[in-house]
Amino acid sequence: MLPRLKRFADVLGGGREAGRGLLRRALQYMLAEQHLYQRGTALDVWAFSEVYRQWRHELSGQADPMAHIKVDDVDFGTLFDIENESYRDEPVIAFLMGLPPQQRLSLLLVYGDGFEHEDAGRILDVSAEMIASRLIRMSASLSDRLNERPPAQAAAIVETLYPEGHRASP
Amino acid sequence: MTELSDELLVAYVDGQLARKQTRAIDKVLEQDDVLEARVTALKHAHARLEAAFEAILAGEEAEISKVTVPPPDDGFWVPWRTFKIAAASTGIVLALGLAALGYGWPLSLPGAGPAPDIGVATGVGSGQGTGPASQVDLEVAPKPQIGP
Repeated sequence: MLPRLKRFADVLGGGREAGRGLLRRALQYMLAEQHLYQRGTALDVWAFSEVYRQWRHELSGQADPMAHIKVDDVDFGTLFDIENESYRDEPVIAFLMGLPPQQRLSLLLVYGDGFEHEDAGRILDVSAEMIASRLIRMSASLSDRLNERPPAQAAAIVETLYPEGHRASP
Repeated sequence: MTELSDELLVAYVDGQLARKQTRAIDKVLEQDDVLEARVTALKHAHARLEAAFEAILAGEEAEISKVTVPPPDDGFWVPWRTFKIAAASTGIVLALGLAALGYGWPLSLPGAGPAPDIGVATGVGSGQGTGPASQVDLEVAPKPQIGP
């Protein structure tokens, strides 16, 4: 479960370093307050929700929370780097980068971790309907973005305007 | 063309619909190419999202395994470290054995005479020497008598 928790913290914090610090603080809190764990609660749901709660707690102490949740492009991009593999799905990375943390996490919890809408809602402290609504909006948006035809390059347009035979000589 | 909302289509793609609803949509998709293309696009988007999240997880697992697994040692049949410890132990045992063979046991320094014979013959160490020194009887010659 630790790699999954770390991924959750990374996506929430916007990078590996930020995620490591957030997860460490959350785990320390969970160890200190383990008596708060209620029997019957799935352990992963409890652990994920504690990491999210820790993040919200720290955010509330910030003078400018909106500035704090903005992720650094480079840090966030390195999350997707795999050793010995050069392929990166740039359109998907750019799409995730542009989302607010709560929406990114909704996608991660359902499509990455396989949680049901109810459990994802418990973790993010929202209703299952809210999770479903977010997923519909973002799925449609990503699908539209991925199906857009890439804009033609300026140089290519110039080439078609001046075919080979009619090019002006220098 | 049949109008189906994105809400329904996403629920269909995610497997959130009841069996009856799923069958109904399957039938509609067989007849409507536009809707089928939309569903394919949604499935494609989800697959790419899942792949992106898998990539992050693979990175995390690699990072954690780097921390926990020590690097393998070099060596022929056994790691160098084990070989060094074994060689040092063998050397120490061999040196002690040779010393015992060369100088006898208990050890005595060469040129310092034989090892002292401890105890049995003289009674030292058997408890007799622990008390006050024993009285020594000296033979005293009889005084010469002066005749009258």
